[in-house]
Amino acid sequence: MRKTFKKKQLTDEAIPTVSLIDISFLLIIFFILTTTFQKGTGFVTDIPGGEKTQQVQQQQKTPTIGLQANKIIFNDDTVTLQELRKKLAALNLDQQKDEAKVVMLEAAENIAYQDYFEIMAMVTAAGGAVAIIREKGSR
Amino acid sequence: MARKKIEAQHVSIPTLSLGDIAFLLIIFFLLSSNFYRESPLQLKPPRSADLKNLQEYPVSVSIDRDGRIFLQGKQVPDAEAVNWGVAALTKDKATQDGRTVMFKCDDAITRDVFEPVLDAISRGGGIIAAMGQRTKQLEASNGRIP
Repeated sequence: MRKTFKKKQLTDEAIPTVSLIDISFLLIIFFILTTTFQKGTGFVTDIPGGEKTQQVQQQQKTPTIGLQANKIIFNDDTVTLQELRKKLAALNLDQQKDEAKVVMLEAAENIAYQDYFEIMAMVTAAGGAVAIIREKGSR
Repeated sequence: MARKKIEAQHVSIPTLSLGDIAFLLIIFFLLSSNFYRESPLQLKPPRSADLKNLQEYPVSVSIDRDGRIFLQGKQVPDAEAVNWGVAALTKDKATQDGRTVMFKCDDAITRDVFEPVLDAISRGGGIIAAMGQRTKQLEASNGRIP
C-alpha cells in the first residue's frame, strides 16, 4: 500500500517584535526614573596626615579643634557648633595661604563619623584645610 | 471633467529598528546608573549644611554600616589595602580630579574605623571628596555634640 504524505502547510514563524518594544520602553522608563544624574553633595579636602609631636604642640598659632563625645573644644575653649562656625569665620581662612589655612582636628576614639564629618565640612567651607592629629604609634 | 481617483496607500511604521534603539538605551542606563556600582553598600550618609555639589570621581572608597571597607565596590580587608589600591589607581593621574577619591561612610562608624581609611587615602596620594547629604541647618548626630 502506498503511503501518502500529507503536505505540511508553511506557517508564518516570525517573532512578534511589537510587544518586545513595549517591554523595552517600560525598562527605559524604569531606568530613567531610577538613575541619579544629579550630582552628589560633599566637600573636597586634601588631608595631610600628621602625628602629634612636641613641635606641633608648640605651634600656638595653629587653631585646634578637639572633638569629644559630647563637646567641641576650640583652642581650649568649649564651644557649640554655631560658635565654632563664627570663630572659624573670624579666622578668615579663605584669605590665608598654605600652612596658615591648616586647622588641627583631634577626635576622641568613640567619635562617630557624623560629628567628624560635620566639623570637617565646616572647616572646609570656611576655607581651611583639616589636618588630622593622630597619636604616635596609632597607625 | 473626470477626477483622478487617488489610491489609498498602506503606510506602516518600521518598528524593527526601534527595538534595537530601545535596547541600546537600556544598556546605556544600566551602565550609567549609580546603583549598579554601589548596590551592595548599605550606609546612612552623614549630614551637613556646608556641602556643595560634586561631580562623580572614578575612584571610590566606602565604609558600610557594619564597618566593612570597600574599594571600587569590592570589599578589602583593611585600611592598608585602601592605601595600596588608591596609590595604584592614582599614580598616573596628574590632575586634581584624577587623584580625587570619593569617600562614603556610614554616619555611625567610629573614629577607630574611618580615620585609618582617611589616612590611607591621604598617604596613597588621594584627595578626599567626602560625600554626604546636604541639610538646611546645622545637624549633629543624635545630639551628641551641641
